[in-house]
Amino acid sequence: MAKLIGGLGSSHVPSIGAAMDKGLTQTEDWKPFFDGIGPGRDWVAANRPDVAVVVFNDHGNSFFLDKVPTFAIGCAERYDPIDEGWGPRAIPSFEGHAELGWHIIDRMVENRFDPMIVQEIEVDHGIQVPMELFFGKPDKAWPVRVVPVFVNVIQYPIPLPSRCYELGQVLRRAIESFPGDERVVVIGTGGLSHQLQGARAGFTNPEADREFLRDIASNPGRLAALSREDYVRLFGSEGAELMMWLVMRGAMDPDVVVKHSHYFVPASMTGAGMLVLENRVA
Amino acid sequence: MEDRIPETPLFDRSRQLRGYRLNKMAMGLVDPANREAFRQDEEAYLDRFGLSAEEKRAVMARNWQEMVRLGGNVFYILKISAISPARMTEIGAHQAGMDHDTFLRERLGKKPAGSQ
Ligand SMILES: [Fe+2]
Repeated sequence: MAKLIGGLGSSHVPSIGAAMDKGLTQTEDWKPFFDGIGPGRDWVAANRPDVAVVVFNDHGNSFFLDKVPTFAIGCAERYDPIDEGWGPRAIPSFEGHAELGWHIIDRMVENRFDPMIVQEIEVDHGIQVPMELFFGKPDKAWPVRVVPVFVNVIQYPIPLPSRCYELGQVLRRAIESFPGDERVVVIGTGGLSHQLQGARAGFTNPEADREFLRDIASNPGRLAALSREDYVRLFGSEGAELMMWLVMRGAMDPDVVVKHSHYFVPASMTGAGMLVLENRVA
Repeated sequence: MEDRIPETPLFDRSRQLRGYRLNKMAMGLVDPANREAFRQDEEAYLDRFGLSAEEKRAVMARNWQEMVRLGGNVFYILKISAISPARMTEIGAHQAGMDHDTFLRERLGKKPAGSQ
């Protein structure tokens, strides 16, 4: 059976991708962030995952408001990067693990989660940036196949934090019942605190972000029990993205070891974090 | 519209319905042909999506604060900045009612020269 080897967390701020594209990673603004991602990359290189299940949200690129799936799971052979409006980025397409995608969808529905089934879609910075941070941007092909899991965190009603956590628990069982020998990581993406809309634009909450990075490992029940409005109040108008880390955390054991944790603010207008978790008993 | 969390618009049903046409217009700009149409004749492009006079004024003035008030969501209306460049921090500053340097300093803790 496939094996879940780790849970990773990462921001997906588009300007992180732009900073890498423009060679700005060593500038005063960006160096403190990029200095802290090395151990995450090293962990991935040492642990050699075959598949990344990436939990992220689309940002008005692949989906418009005409159709808004609360949860959507990809079962495509390939995911091309989407033109978000500035022209396509020079980044390789992602090879999908269609079989695992279908298997996860089957197990989800059997466990009373009913995701949208996605066989053809282009993907935005929500998946691109975390993949670049953990794997580095390759010239040709990514070293892993992906299964994208889309969560609606933009158009209300967005799902409950507790529901995201439960989705992760089902995801875990789905991965570990897949007939294969793949080594799988689940990557929760988004956040941390940031606000792009309204007069409170530019709001960040470093203290709450640091507590989040601590509690997502040691006390995820507290974070799963918060309300959606708690997330927005504490982490800003786009802070609900952090709920997607709960999907990753739900896929892990109650008892985890923190292999790496990094925080920097502001990445553009956002508190940026990276996290690597392993189950304590392998 | 009363915000339950101060100065923080939730993209709920009423806002989303209010801003649907505006956001759909902006979403259209992911298509290079539409970006070109917007460049050639902005008002004609906006008319294709049935924007009201108030909405058109907000877009044509690049009044981000007003676009959000009218139900625009930054993820969509941001696409306008691919045609007339505005950094995310400038759009943030405009909504906060601050000049860019003040915004960088007060909200993001940056030195005025150290902009992104
Ligand atoms: Fe995001």
